[in-house]
Amino acid sequence: MWETLAQAVINGLLIGGIYALVSIGVTLIFGVVKIVNFAQGEFVMLGMYISFFLSSQFGIDPIVSLLVSMPVLFVCGVLIQHFLIRRVLGPNDMPQIFLTFALSLLLLNLALMLFTANYRTVHTWYSDEAFHIGGLYIPYAKLIAFVVAMGLSGALWLFLRSTDMGKAMRAASQNRDVAMLMGINPNRVFCVALGVALALAGAAGSLLMPFYSAYPFVGQVFVLMAFVAVVLGTLGNVIGALVASLMMGVAESLGIQFVGADSGLIVVFAMLLLTLAFKPNGLGGGRAR
Amino acid sequence: MIRPMYLLWLAVGLAILIALPHLVTNSFAIDIFIRILLFSFIGVAWNLMGGYAKQLSLGHAAYFGLGAYTSTILQIDFGISPWIGMAAGGVVAMLASLPIGWLCFRLRGPYFTIATIATAQALMLIFLKFRDFAWGAEGTTIPNLGSAPLMMQFEGKAAYYYVVLGLLVLGLTITWLIERSWMGYYLVAIGEDEDAAQAIGVNAPKIKRDIYMISSFLTALAGTFYTQYIYFIDPATAFSFNISIEAALVSIVGGIGTLWGPVIGTVLLETTSALLQSWLGGRVGGIQLTVYSLILMAVILWRPTGLIGFATDMYQRYVRRQPARA
Repeated sequence: MWETLAQAVINGLLIGGIYALVSIGVTLIFGVVKIVNFAQGEFVMLGMYISFFLSSQFGIDPIVSLLVSMPVLFVCGVLIQHFLIRRVLGPNDMPQIFLTFALSLLLLNLALMLFTANYRTVHTWYSDEAFHIGGLYIPYAKLIAFVVAMGLSGALWLFLRSTDMGKAMRAASQNRDVAMLMGINPNRVFCVALGVALALAGAAGSLLMPFYSAYPFVGQVFVLMAFVAVVLGTLGNVIGALVASLMMGVAESLGIQFVGADSGLIVVFAMLLLTLAFKPNGLGGGRAR
Repeated sequence: MIRPMYLLWLAVGLAILIALPHLVTNSFAIDIFIRILLFSFIGVAWNLMGGYAKQLSLGHAAYFGLGAYTSTILQIDFGISPWIGMAAGGVVAMLASLPIGWLCFRLRGPYFTIATIATAQALMLIFLKFRDFAWGAEGTTIPNLGSAPLMMQFEGKAAYYYVVLGLLVLGLTITWLIERSWMGYYLVAIGEDEDAAQAIGVNAPKIKRDIYMISSFLTALAGTFYTQYIYFIDPATAFSFNISIEAALVSIVGGIGTLWGPVIGTVLLETTSALLQSWLGGRVGGIQLTVYSLILMAVILWRPTGLIGFATDMYQRYVRRQPARA
């Protein structure tokens, strides 16, 4: 019993690391640019396909292809902010919501047309290997993904703490007008925020590839999880999103272990509805919007 | 004040719509007309809440599905006519909108939208999981009784066309009445700035709850109609996310928060979709939504007031010879 429980918690924490990369991106964009990126999941999908093609065409390991997927998606983020999102920033919600929503629909359906709905997998030498500690089973691929994900989250935290650009981002998220008066160029800050957030999504995609299949709808699983984690962790709060994502991973894994194999989504929805009903401002209790 | 010319155009338009199934007997064409009328109606229902009050829901499939399931359960398990089931479905949807709204209205803006998506998906999961209740994931076919107008089953497609035309007229009339009432002004005030509206004494939570009930009721009627029209129901079609998407899309493309916006948007989108299908033959997966999303992006980036706003600007610029609004 205790071993099953510990195993479920470990599985949840490991996948929670991936959720964290996606939710940190969502919460970073929300905090700095004040929009919700509905297309975040589709960038995870793009990251997965980039790793898949690099692996099947050139035999590059998915973890190594992080070095390609992250810069490519960073550039995507900068371009999307500069040419699309910049044009709809304003007091009106409708264009912001439906612009990123249209982007999500577009990427998803383009992927469906170009790559078909087939599931694509990459098999690496470590895909089937695992540590056995006591009675516990820790797959290499998931452990690597978790460690890299935590490393990237830590790097982002350092970036926000100690670089000028990071400080400018935090300033812009606290008070955009005052930040502009202090000489911060908002569009540059927003471009970097979008770029970093999408690079994290791309990293999540590459890290998933050794143990997860790529298909056009794959992003929706992750974006839904991220949205819940971002509400739970208080909108715009990076550490909150990280902790909430790990919790979501564990909750989903416990649901799968003790309720049934296909109950993961039900647990997620239940958590969202409970959060909305009792803690609409997140567990930290901060101010939502 | 209704201008006589406006009434004349309305009468001519309605006469053409009534005559249409007699002029065009091709059943493929009538099928497209029915789709246009149906999605116009769903768009009109969405627009009451999403357009006027700017509560941008992407979860209206929840009410479409509840309407469809209520009437089908009543018909198959209890032999009750779908006409009654339609009204019952509307009431069920209205009641369901109360707790759903209570949860979702706690959030604003984009997070309201996400909450509505999640509630619709959760409802779909409920209908997928409970196999003993409502046929589970396989769904069921509606028994075909041949010509049974009292059970909402007809021989030709023309009769279905008139049913959905009636629904659209109902939806537009309700919108027209609300637009001219105090409620219409409250809705627009909430849509412009909810806090400001609240500050001048608009009871925003109550107005939002009421319009959500009306919008859900109408959406549920469409669900019953659609199930009767295709003789089939399962959770994936009844609670399809595409219905939520299309309800919002047609309103935004046509002109959000306007009486005719959803109708004009549907004519454009559904015609595009029909043309694409006839050009490309069978279905190329994803092409329809790819094109829809490109149209949506174009509208948002260049003309957020939709086709109606575009037409008004053009009218003022070239016909009235006045400078267009900036």
